[in-house]
Amino acid sequence: MTLAMAEQRVDARRDKAVKRFALTDAVFAGISRAAAILVLLILSGVAISLVVGSWQALSTFGFSFLTTESWNPVTEKFGALAPIYGTVVTSAIAILIAVPIGIGIAIFLTELCPRPLRRPIGIAVELLAGIPSIIYGIWGLFVFAPFVQTTIQPFVINLFKDVPGLSSLFAGPPYGIGMLTSAMILAIMVLPFVTSITKDVFDTVPAVLKESAYGIGCTTWEVIRRIVIPYTRVGIMGGIMLGLGRALGETMAVTFVIGNAHRISPSLFAPGTTISATIANEFTEADGELYTSSLIALGLILFFITLIILAIARYMLMRIGRKAGA
Amino acid sequence: MVSLEKTAPQQANDRAKIEIKNLNFYYGESKALKNISLQLPERSVTAFIGPSGCGKSTLLRVLNRIYELYPKQRAEGEVLVDGQNILDRNQDLNLLRTKVGMVFQKPTPFPMSIYENISFGIKLYENLNKSDMDERVEAALRRAALWNEVKDKLNASGLSLSGGQQQRLCIARTVAVKPEIILLDEPASALDPLSTAKIEELIDELRADYTIVIVTHNMQQAARVSRQTAFMYLGELVEFDETAKIFTSPQEKRTQDYVTGRFG
Amino acid sequence: MSSIYPRRKATNGIMMVLCVVAAAIGLAWLALILGALLYNGVAGLNVAVFTEMTPPPGEAGGLLNAIVGSLVITVIAVIIGTPIGIMAGTYMAEYGRFSKLTTAVRFINDILLSAPSIIVGLFVYELIVRPMGHFSAIAGAFALAVLVIPVVVRTTEDMLNLVPNALREAGTAIGAPRWIVIRSVAYRAALSGIVTGILLAIARISGETAPLLFTALNNQFWSSDLNAPMASLPVTIFQFALSPYEEWQQLAWTGALIITLTVLGLSIFARSLTGRKG
Repeated sequence: MTLAMAEQRVDARRDKAVKRFALTDAVFAGISRAAAILVLLILSGVAISLVVGSWQALSTFGFSFLTTESWNPVTEKFGALAPIYGTVVTSAIAILIAVPIGIGIAIFLTELCPRPLRRPIGIAVELLAGIPSIIYGIWGLFVFAPFVQTTIQPFVINLFKDVPGLSSLFAGPPYGIGMLTSAMILAIMVLPFVTSITKDVFDTVPAVLKESAYGIGCTTWEVIRRIVIPYTRVGIMGGIMLGLGRALGETMAVTFVIGNAHRISPSLFAPGTTISATIANEFTEADGELYTSSLIALGLILFFITLIILAIARYMLMRIGRKAGA
Repeated sequence: MVSLEKTAPQQANDRAKIEIKNLNFYYGESKALKNISLQLPERSVTAFIGPSGCGKSTLLRVLNRIYELYPKQRAEGEVLVDGQNILDRNQDLNLLRTKVGMVFQKPTPFPMSIYENISFGIKLYENLNKSDMDERVEAALRRAALWNEVKDKLNASGLSLSGGQQQRLCIARTVAVKPEIILLDEPASALDPLSTAKIEELIDELRADYTIVIVTHNMQQAARVSRQTAFMYLGELVEFDETAKIFTSPQEKRTQDYVTGRFG
Repeated sequence: MSSIYPRRKATNGIMMVLCVVAAAIGLAWLALILGALLYNGVAGLNVAVFTEMTPPPGEAGGLLNAIVGSLVITVIAVIIGTPIGIMAGTYMAEYGRFSKLTTAVRFINDILLSAPSIIVGLFVYELIVRPMGHFSAIAGAFALAVLVIPVVVRTTEDMLNLVPNALREAGTAIGAPRWIVIRSVAYRAALSGIVTGILLAIARISGETAPLLFTALNNQFWSSDLNAPMASLPVTIFQFALSPYEEWQQLAWTGALIITLTVLGLSIFARSLTGRKG
């Protein structure tokens, strides 16, 4: 009798627990789902806010915003061509410098480096990828730019002064700061990135594949050139695109050393500007709706460029990930 | 196709604890169980045997509906536990699982202390004070023949135990929530022979109080621990009978081939 | 064969030397930066840096308000961003592991992970600063939270995916509802990994400058008002480094050293937690 009563009480408690669980589980599932959707909303929020913010500039200047070089706060005539040019050129040069060196380091780390050093150097490279860009910027401004100004630039200007084409590409005066200096700082910044991703995708190559190539008498270089790189091509491209995305959007490292001049100069030694440097330098000082709106429009352009590059990069890295997983 | 009448064991005195009627199971489009019908008697050990991929584990996983964790898996038909269809949409899954416990192939201690591993399940549905809880934990560990080995280190991580001990911890954890049915999915396949013997001993002790269903690919084990055995092949129930009969004088040729080691 | 082989061997030799040179250049370059940072930063390191306010031009002072400002903004950003990130990662690895939403969120999250941070600054400016009519610490914290979320989402999902399904099944089999299995079993099993993710997120935002430039702005003085502009270490470094005053430049170097050491310390600690591969 008492046992039956006790059992009944347990049953009642269980029923209550079950009801509570049904509710709490639904709430927890709902919250987590909402959080996931919020991530989607953030990205669309970014896009929408940029479009809204830049509307005034885009409707005032129309398509010519993309093709005009002039950037004049006094007459309120704004065009994005110079920052776009600066962004693309500095990033492209940075990638041209960083990719061969980055791949070289990755090869060194996976094939040549003495085993005890592999891990420490690998970790060091990854840690460097996390150093804030403002550090690179301050180094660029105080150490690198003066060095470029007093040593590299005079030498190069002298070297090419009689070569047609190159003489205008490397025309003086040596400011130290400018497009090429920015590109080189960007290259250093992107380097750990490219290196660690390349190293990761190199590690996805099945050991058997490499061993069988060595087995038929290939040299290390031939194994890399014929087996490793073809096998990981998509992943390396993904890594390069990711690095490019980072270079395009990088603000602080560039802002210090670009010179912030709104003009397109044939010389790589001349000061220029990039989209992000322009925004960083001028946003808080921009007076007038149209000025602010034009700066946000620059942000919108940058957003779309990086969005496309990053989407391609992620797609490529996803493909190599699937290959390694299969 | 094997009809229920032909294969049901003649156990007039045994009440059927679980009644499976015309059960089909699908992984997406592919059919993994084909029209299974059988009755499992109360307080008795039933073994599911058969070659890999025959559906024995799938059938086991229907009995506590653990397959519901994954999308695109679904069961059709009826599974009656004490006369209630557990495949019913209104069946509360958490409640079902407190009634139908499960022990897995690999030991799965939770990442917490030995004590918490046991109390975790109890706490879900019962509000016990410290001394009652201590009693329940001790009882469960004794039930799983683990108490003497762990009583001095109840606060150690469950992961610090050996494989065999971990598996007995999982059994203790399962009996702690007072289920009526215990499902064992190849519980000894990841263990050494000595630990296996201990687990089998334990099953022998538990069968007086619980309805036990064990999936195994070790035929000697099935012969040792179970009273009746179901042989499955390619998603079908080929034969279900007293274990002794299955292993000595099976009705079906496929059963004979399998138990004599001609395939599988 | 005998005529080809020496050439192949020579090519191999040249390429390998080039790789070693690349490694030497790359690593030396990075070492140079850290060396310069250490050299210039240590020179200005003294107690005043941590006890005095940022000075007016031409005077000595410290970075106290900037350091505290950075801490405040970072803490708020983590408090806002971490729960959202963990919950979103939980959805992707647990409730919605097989859903289309998860695939979409993973793709978008990866893009957010490497989106230019200055864009995030513009977003928060439009979202908060402009409607409120003034810069504020809370806006800066929101901007950094937007950067925290993708890092935490990514690591939470990855770490929960590493939790064996058998463990989830075991929790479920004992009668625990889904969310208790997640809370008491999956989170516990993935704990060190999730904490690593949070630490890496903190490391990432503690040096971010661009998103703060037009959200939290800067403040020469002590401020504990979240609704007003607040100083932060990165923005102070930016302002001081570009100034013509030597004292400010020195403080910029020292601040840069502090940030770098913080970030490196956090990353190393985070790594040691999980013992993750290089």
